[in-house]
Amino acid sequence: MFSEDTILLFYEITDVIIAGLSTGSVYALMAVGMTLVYGVTKAFNFAYGDFFNMGGYFAWILIVGLGLEFGGYPVVLLIVMPLLFAVGYGLEKLLVAPLRKRKDWENKVMMMTLGLALFLTSLYMVVFGVRMKSLPPILEGTWEVGQLVFSYQDIMIFVMSISGILIFAWVLNNTRIGMAVRAVAQNPVGATIVGIPKERIFATTFAISTVMVGFGGILLSQKWFINPNSGGIIMVKAWVVTALGGMGSIRGGLYAAFIIGMLEAFVGWMFGMSYGIIALFVLLLATLVLRPQGLRGKGE
Amino acid sequence: MLTLTNVTKKFGELVAVNDLSFKVEDGQIFGIAGPNGAGKSTVYNLITGFYPYEGRIEFNGRDLSGMPPYKIAKAGIARTFQIPQIFPSLTVEKSISVGSRFGSRDGLDEDHVAEIIRFVELSEEKNQKTGHLNLLGKKKLMIGAALATKPRMLMLDEPMAGSNANEIKALMDLIRRINGEMGLTIIIIEHFMKVLTELTEKLLIIESGAMICCDLPEVATSDKRVIESYIGDAYVER
Repeated sequence: MFSEDTILLFYEITDVIIAGLSTGSVYALMAVGMTLVYGVTKAFNFAYGDFFNMGGYFAWILIVGLGLEFGGYPVVLLIVMPLLFAVGYGLEKLLVAPLRKRKDWENKVMMMTLGLALFLTSLYMVVFGVRMKSLPPILEGTWEVGQLVFSYQDIMIFVMSISGILIFAWVLNNTRIGMAVRAVAQNPVGATIVGIPKERIFATTFAISTVMVGFGGILLSQKWFINPNSGGIIMVKAWVVTALGGMGSIRGGLYAAFIIGMLEAFVGWMFGMSYGIIALFVLLLATLVLRPQGLRGKGE
Repeated sequence: MLTLTNVTKKFGELVAVNDLSFKVEDGQIFGIAGPNGAGKSTVYNLITGFYPYEGRIEFNGRDLSGMPPYKIAKAGIARTFQIPQIFPSLTVEKSISVGSRFGSRDGLDEDHVAEIIRFVELSEEKNQKTGHLNLLGKKKLMIGAALATKPRMLMLDEPMAGSNANEIKALMDLIRRINGEMGLTIIIIEHFMKVLTELTEKLLIIESGAMICCDLPEVATSDKRVIESYIGDAYVER
């Protein structure tokens, strides 16, 4: 019924969609983290991409550097996730919280996180060198359905990212800390007069977002490579996702993440991977000109 | 219950509160009035820990200086703002339960939350998003969230602002019930002198951050200095 070329095209497009869903799901995870920290603290974190690298490098130290053989990725996650939380919480308390007491603190926080990004990039260069590193796949092999071939790696990345987002949504809607985060995001003054420790919630939010992007780093470092500068690219992508979705809108960020994942995959397939980043900038410019508030942001 | 002793607050060169001392007794409804910019809301912000200050503020013998707002809420002082501070995407029930869960020393008490919702007459709206409430509803909600923290004292900042005559009557009734039925001490900042003279047992008048008078409402409103600096002759003649 269909020619061989048509069937081949169908398989290729299916591959591209799977790749787009896989990376899009990790972008969604990172977008949720970035939107969360912006929505609650109203400050933009320029070091966000470097926490992506931090997750990847921490996992690399355990798996490749120390040759951890016991337990595999579950044990790695059990060690790295609390570590990322502690780093995020500590950095917020040490570097961001003191600035929040000052005038024009939003700009000061932006400049400080920019400095932190440069510091972390340099630190990674010194500690890990400039050569690319990657992690082994969580699950090797493929799943074949007729002529269609799905890599377990892509499936696991998708499943784990979506699980991460669902766990986050559950925490936000069903726990004491989640209720406090929502209250502070909507009205910090109103929250503090009913007994919510606002400063602690800011630090916790920063820590949760660090965990989310670091988890993204662990997932994508199996598919791509990490080097000290890859945080910058991730930061740009997270920024495009946030701008397209609408600043502060978690749902918008989720839509935008999958749109961008698909866009990258299709542009890469049609024109080559290096055109993917150009497509992102075109999309960013078009968004800022045509719909500055993004897909789900509030207009003026 | 609450004692301010020689409290001063400066913002740069501006003295917002100037060597202010007064005392609020247990179970009292205490009024604060004065012209715009007199420092009334600043006094509230000092008591509830939003700004540091010179002097001493004590609540039930406990020094409040250096305590952050959330700890002061837990210590039993609840407050509202002139502009309702609500959580727009939470329901009325959830918003009030935030107060119970975080502000009360006993933690979340669902029976108490249900009782507060009935008390502030928001039962019909309990599943509505708070952003959809009218102004009176938002004010009742803010009072409800404050009451859910199980406070010993409630501080209301211009609760009647922007309200019509019927809403003022409803809010005055609610304030009387909070004081009478719950036994809470109440401090109220208000511009409507009629509201203050009808509700309060003691009235503090301040101007430029300093006390002009602190006395029974009928004495305070007939004080020559208060008439000259704040309420004018028109109120007295009426």
